[in-house]
Amino acid sequence: MDLNPHAGENYAHPKTCLFHVIFKAAALAFYILFALFISNFVIIFVVTVLLAALDFWVVKNVSGRILVGLRWWNEINDLGESVWKFESLDQESLARMNKKDSWLFWWTLYLTAAAWIVLAIFSLIRLQADYLLVIGVCLTLSIANIVGFTKCRKDAKQKIQQFASQTIAAQVSSTIQSAIFSAV
Amino acid sequence: MSHSDTVPLHQSSQSDIDEIESLINASVQSGPATVLPARPPSPPRASIPVVSSSPFIQSNLPPPPPLPSPNQKVPSVPAPAPPPPPSIGASGFGPVPNTLTEPVWDTVKRDLSRIVSNLKLVVFPNPYREDPGKALRDWDLWGPFFFIVFLGLALSWSASVKKSEVFAVAFALLAAGAVILTLNVLLLGGHIIFFQSLSLLGYCLFPLDVGAVICMLKDNVMLKVIVVSVTLAWSSWAAYPFMSSAVNPRRKALALYPVFLMYVSVGFLIIAID
Repeated sequence: MDLNPHAGENYAHPKTCLFHVIFKAAALAFYILFALFISNFVIIFVVTVLLAALDFWVVKNVSGRILVGLRWWNEINDLGESVWKFESLDQESLARMNKKDSWLFWWTLYLTAAAWIVLAIFSLIRLQADYLLVIGVCLTLSIANIVGFTKCRKDAKQKIQQFASQTIAAQVSSTIQSAIFSAV
Repeated sequence: MSHSDTVPLHQSSQSDIDEIESLINASVQSGPATVLPARPPSPPRASIPVVSSSPFIQSNLPPPPPLPSPNQKVPSVPAPAPPPPPSIGASGFGPVPNTLTEPVWDTVKRDLSRIVSNLKLVVFPNPYREDPGKALRDWDLWGPFFFIVFLGLALSWSASVKKSEVFAVAFALLAAGAVILTLNVLLLGGHIIFFQSLSLLGYCLFPLDVGAVICMLKDNVMLKVIVVSVTLAWSSWAAYPFMSSAVNPRRKALALYPVFLMYVSVGFLIIAID
């Protein structure tokens, strides 16, 4: 993953990219501006956490699917155990994904988490426990998405490798079979 | 069988060749029949039909025919084809999975219907409930989030002074309380999933939410006490089956008492706010 977006390519899904960014930016902006100027904690809390929750949902269900072709969720199977499920597009579709889109996706995820961490440090220094609560919730949501998608991406790469080795094994065995057949 | 051999084969090598041929024929015949099994659909839930979110895809390509199983006389090539990993997610096999390409509106509808069905399952009296321990198999945290925030808002609205502190305290109490109660059950040696339990405790706040709204509208102390007692009993009743089925029967009280205590303290908050 490099630092510069690929020049010459345009965003393939501009509306999705916009939504991906807008809720994050709105939550951060609202928090920073209102915490500085307005002292009504309840409104700040509710609006910021609501925006952060909406952003979590949008990233997990919409922009993750459309921009990078990944999806993760948790299920409880019949034995009562918790199972993490990962889903990804097949290899050709993944390779065809727009590079600019996925660059935007990953970098905004990381930057948002970093911004919340910085705000948390400010809150700690000023010893504001209630604002720390807000930041804690938003940070948890950002980190959950980062962890989920990273695991999903690793899982997708692993599946591709597995599929590749399976195909090779299948090829080898069918070659051997046809060799045996022709020898008889 | 080659008929062009002029040299008669040795007894044992002829039988070897026969065996190899028969095994190959057997595997070729059984090959197409071993289609990848689809995951059986999850049992239908007793409420709103939800769009199936199974991630498994039927493979369009038949798998390579399984190799002959090892036999004493035939040194076989290793292993039958390995079973496909459960969430195969199309590494090149067939069509793209359903939930990855579904329209956004479908996702929204699916999540909304899940919230409603969870609410119905957990909170409303249902004598035909199949297995209370299995409630909230499809846990989600949206319901609890809305209920906790709503309760905080209702309490904050009713308070005449220190509104922000009331809200912060209510939210922190409920969120931390849910986490600690879950840890309590886990430490007692119970079998629950962390998020499932958080989800359940959040959904069980629904009756208290209703009680808080009623108390917000009418300020009579007697009425408040009655309403809070009723809704408290309802909440505890809703949480009971799940919590009690998760632990050892001798430790049921140890697991249930803190839940009851938390709901009682929330009830006191509702009554005492003015």
